[in-house]
Amino acid sequence: MAEARSSERSLLRKALSPSYTCATPLELGGLADGSLARSAAARLRDHVSGCARCQTELALLKEFDNAAPRPDEERAVSWISARLERRFSEASAGPSPSRTRHGAALPRRSRFVALNVGGFAVAAATLAAAVAIGLREGRAPELAQPSAAAPTVLRSAGITTLSPAGDLDAPPNELRWEPRTDAASYSVQVMEVDYAELWSAETHDASIALPPAVRARIVPGKPLLWEVVAKDAAGGALAWSGKHRFRIKM
Amino acid sequence: MGGWGARGHRVVPRLPRWCLIFRDGGDLEALSDADLVSNHLAAGGGGGSIWLQELFRRHYTKVVTWCLRVAGDSEEAHDLAQGVFLKAQRHLGAFRGDSKVSTWLYSITRSECLNYLRSRSPLNDPLDDDVAEALPDDPESRPERVFEFRSSVQAARALLDRELTDLEKRVFTLHYGDDVPLQTITRLLGLENPSGAKAYLVSARRKLARALPRWRACERLNA
Repeated sequence: MAEARSSERSLLRKALSPSYTCATPLELGGLADGSLARSAAARLRDHVSGCARCQTELALLKEFDNAAPRPDEERAVSWISARLERRFSEASAGPSPSRTRHGAALPRRSRFVALNVGGFAVAAATLAAAVAIGLREGRAPELAQPSAAAPTVLRSAGITTLSPAGDLDAPPNELRWEPRTDAASYSVQVMEVDYAELWSAETHDASIALPPAVRARIVPGKPLLWEVVAKDAAGGALAWSGKHRFRIKM
Repeated sequence: MGGWGARGHRVVPRLPRWCLIFRDGGDLEALSDADLVSNHLAAGGGGGSIWLQELFRRHYTKVVTWCLRVAGDSEEAHDLAQGVFLKAQRHLGAFRGDSKVSTWLYSITRSECLNYLRSRSPLNDPLDDDVAEALPDDPESRPERVFEFRSSVQAARALLDRELTDLEKRVFTLHYGDDVPLQTITRLLGLENPSGAKAYLVSARRKLARALPRWRACERLNA
């Protein structure tokens, strides 16, 4: 019974996973807001009308776009939103290094002083002009003294993939992701949209080159998925990236 | 920073750095999301800028509401939403402007939420056992028999699309396609019936069990 259920789950997963012709969330967004070209929208609408997967994605996207807290969620949503707002405004007031032409890192406060316009006189004139035209102060940038930004707490362990993603002009040469300090190695997998494996490999780095034989199988218009799993020294999974889609433009 | 082609919205010219002083004082609320992204990137795109703060402020409610429904707990939802906005901040330079910012944020939120769910409870949903028990004791409706059309995933897709209601399709897709637990689906879809998503899963499977003999007969005729 357990085996049958597992096999059933696997079949349903295949039937309900994105197919070769399924739309990405961005394409569905274009369909929803009418920004897609007429021919592309007609083609997509035709597909969506017969695809449970895309119908669901489209409905969820619309639900997200109009998401308003239900009465029992209101208190938690405003509490979390207030914390996030505080966290991101603190981040903007904190040290945010930017490089001058000479490559020296300056805190954010200094960046606005070190304008790229040739010195104090121009800055003073600019400021005077700004006052003269009635610059509103209510929304001025917060230029507080640099302070330590709020620590980032992420309990949802994951890996951020860097590339490839979305529509590409040519087959990617490599897969890249952000390294994790606690990872001893990474396991990488490239697969078809039905999760059939195309290629997999192990590496100690935060990138890996795609062999020519794999690149040759990445053909225009065909979406593929890839995923990376971070492992500890004993080979146990620490975090994974989730599946990310990419394809070569037609 | 480069390659961000504004399409379908107002183009904000790339200004010299000093001009940003004027823009800082402008009416932020009058700027579109795309303008805010453009200004943030023009200012260097690092750290938080007032444009980024305004952009995020506009979208906190929808992202947080979504994360709360997925996590079902305020602390976890906070961490999840924070992860979404940090990722958005880090990758804003890759935003190409050919979709709405909210659509782009949805794709990040969706991916972060699925990662979160996988990290929390990989695959097994105890409610599945309840679903199996709720099915009639008829061999034809047992899971292994209901989905015997394994020869054709295409045929399975067509059957699911034809037989199920929109809500049943959503429950099926989230549960079987993305491994989302039934309790989470209940919150995400705002299902208010007593047994939530489980009821839709059971009714959908009954429908498929009833439809299967007809389906097989058609397939035999077409063979």
